[in-house]
Amino acid sequence: MDKIVVKELDLFYGEQQALNSINIAMKERSVTALIGPSGCGKSTFLRTLNRMQDLTPGVKIIGQVKIDGQDIYAADTDVVLLRKKVGMVFQHPNPFPKSVFENVAYGPRIHGETDKKKLSEIVETSLKDAALWNEVKDRLHESALGLSGGQQQRLCIARLLAVGPEILLMDEPTSALDPISTMKIEELIAELKDKYTIIIVTHNMHQASRVSDRTAFFLSGDLIEEDITSVLFTRPAKKKTEDYISGRFG
Amino acid sequence: MPTRQKFDHELEDLRLKILTLGKMAEQQIALAVNSLMNQDLELANSIVVKDLELNDLRADIEETCILLIATQQPFARDLRKLVAGFKISIYLERMGDLAVDLAKVSIRIGQEKLIKPLVDIPRMSGIVQEMIRIGLKAYVDEDCGAAAEMSLMDDEIDKIYSGVFGELKSIMMENPNNVTQANYLLFASRFLERLGDYCTNIAEEIVYICNGKRMDLNE
Amino acid sequence: MKAHQANRFASILLWIGAVAILALLVAFLALILGRGLPYLTAEFFSGSDGVRGQLFNSFYILFLSLIFSLPIGLGAGIYMAEYAPQNRFTDLIRLSTESLASVPSIVFGLFGMIVFVNMFGLGFTILGGSATLALLNLPILVRVTEESLRAVPRSYREASLALGATMWQTLRKVILPTALPGLITGITLVAGRALGETAILIFTAGMNVSRILFDVNPLAAGETLAVHLFAVKSNPLPGTNSDQIADGTAALLILMVIVFNLCLSIPSRWLQYRLQGKNRG
Ligand SMILES: Nc1ncnc2c1ncn2[C@@H]1O[C@H](COP(=O)(O)OP(=O)(O)OP(=O)(O)O)[C@@H](O)[C@H]1O
Ligand SMILES: [Mg+2]
Repeated sequence: MDKIVVKELDLFYGEQQALNSINIAMKERSVTALIGPSGCGKSTFLRTLNRMQDLTPGVKIIGQVKIDGQDIYAADTDVVLLRKKVGMVFQHPNPFPKSVFENVAYGPRIHGETDKKKLSEIVETSLKDAALWNEVKDRLHESALGLSGGQQQRLCIARLLAVGPEILLMDEPTSALDPISTMKIEELIAELKDKYTIIIVTHNMHQASRVSDRTAFFLSGDLIEEDITSVLFTRPAKKKTEDYISGRFG
Repeated sequence: MPTRQKFDHELEDLRLKILTLGKMAEQQIALAVNSLMNQDLELANSIVVKDLELNDLRADIEETCILLIATQQPFARDLRKLVAGFKISIYLERMGDLAVDLAKVSIRIGQEKLIKPLVDIPRMSGIVQEMIRIGLKAYVDEDCGAAAEMSLMDDEIDKIYSGVFGELKSIMMENPNNVTQANYLLFASRFLERLGDYCTNIAEEIVYICNGKRMDLNE
Repeated sequence: MKAHQANRFASILLWIGAVAILALLVAFLALILGRGLPYLTAEFFSGSDGVRGQLFNSFYILFLSLIFSLPIGLGAGIYMAEYAPQNRFTDLIRLSTESLASVPSIVFGLFGMIVFVNMFGLGFTILGGSATLALLNLPILVRVTEESLRAVPRSYREASLALGATMWQTLRKVILPTALPGLITGITLVAGRALGETAILIFTAGMNVSRILFDVNPLAAGETLAVHLFAVKSNPLPGTNSDQIADGTAALLILMVIVFNLCLSIPSRWLQYRLQGKNRG
């Protein structure tokens, strides 16, 4: 079933148009990779899906983004609930300057969970789901900023899972990580796929080809091609896609 | 600005190597059939020796493909070129092996008088050589139309082969003394028929390079 | 000159500067404390001309002025950093606070005298003094708050908002705690300045001490230590050893500021250390 359906989506930063009538649908419990050169609008597109663009002054959005059939830009949308359902992992790990425990407990707390026992449970399961539990279980009350970059990124994923999202948006989640941490996150994505709908922006095309079911290629604000990942990477339909993925650009 | 020039050069080198291997295979086949027709044992022996060169070149091509896949991490057409090039080189090497098998037939027959004038074998060999030439050109041009057309020529070989098969069968039944040589000749035509199949396989790889589709041209 | 030589030269120059500052501070402390410490006896505090009243007033006025200025200053700073849109109006506000911050304190003193002492008819009172002092602190507090909040990485805000937190939750649970060390430093600076302020208080809180010990009545007159020092030095009473009193007061003032700063900055360091994790020292 389609979890996300985007129709004729235009986005303007002031006068400048950054997305040109994007049409795309994402299936429930699947991984979609967004690829394309720097500045083509991948992050911009990703940030329309949880309305993080609302925070950028001067943004104008035309078109439709439906999640579970609901237009998220409709006037009666509760942005807090939307962002609870559509979580985001950023390019640079950004844990709060709090303890590991407090980082993960942050989401449930702001959404009203006060029971200590429940919070501990949520923290534990989220850390386990993010494949981090074994590494941090003895230092839950130390600062999260003392973790390695890869651990921090998995902590951010745990922090996200703790609020119980359905969709995970990941903007270049491994671009600041070493190969081992990258592989751990990729394996994690493969596991999370069973429960979540995942959209990942990446500059690493091998990563895209490893982790995703479908891949979408963006170029200067246009969605050029979107297909099953194995097809897109072995026999893309469009010349532009071919040129981009085989590194012969311009 | 063109990017990946080094990679493009390396792909070009690879293509030249495959082309060389193809020409060597074609020549080996031509010489093998000649040695059979002319009962030239010296030539036949030289073919067996020459085959070592083909094996070496094939190993070199394999090495290059592995290295390029590992270091250049190709996608799309580049990936298809490397994978298909690798497979084509294997087919060509096998074709070289079949040429050796043909040469061995002529060594076995030796100076023994031929039981019949050889007409169909050179015809089949001619078609195979033509198929290789067209195939190599199609490979260089990445012309899947030409490749597909080339594969159709295999039908002619199959037809000749079944004719030869019937003819040799009746020769064997007529005179049991001829059974050994007739068997050798049957092997030879069988080898040529196999060569036609390999050409078809190569045509399939060329089509794969062009459009990424796997097509069975042997039917 | 080679880059490498330039580098050496610059490091030496900067090193000399740093050492000079340190030397200056040590000399200054040695002089003031050396001269004043011997007079800091019990008699000095609670004798007939004892300064315990002034000491109390110093802190009381500081406390009241912070009570007045902190909510407004923090509020305005938070608004400017987090909520205000970037436009002409906010630029104007920023410009105004900056100009206010550079107004000489004596001008604030006169302003306070006109408004609180005369217009409101309060006379010289602790209330008038702290209110005027609050006006002096306000612009600095606004700036310090705005800057500490802006120094909090944008990524923290995004992370919090992306988890479905409201702006207010984000502010309370992430931004303010992270900015706290910066805020405390700012408040320490403001408070230190207020503790040593004289010009304003001479005109508004007066140069008398209430006869009641530790008088919390905001309408009492409230001479502070700094003002006392000024008074004793500029207008020595006959029959008292004004030089001794002045030296003692100066030493006391210095000690007070040092102790006060330590009291605020040690917890702030500790907090920073806790927030940033052990690996980052
Ligand atoms: N806040 C903004 N205001 C104005 N223009 C913006 C803003 N954010 C992005 N843009 C522009 O929109 C275009 C798309 O930017 P975006 O960040 O989505 O690119 P991207 O595909 O994510 O690139 P990268 O791979 O470098 O992250 C760029 O031309 C960029 O300059
Ligand atoms: Mg981006």
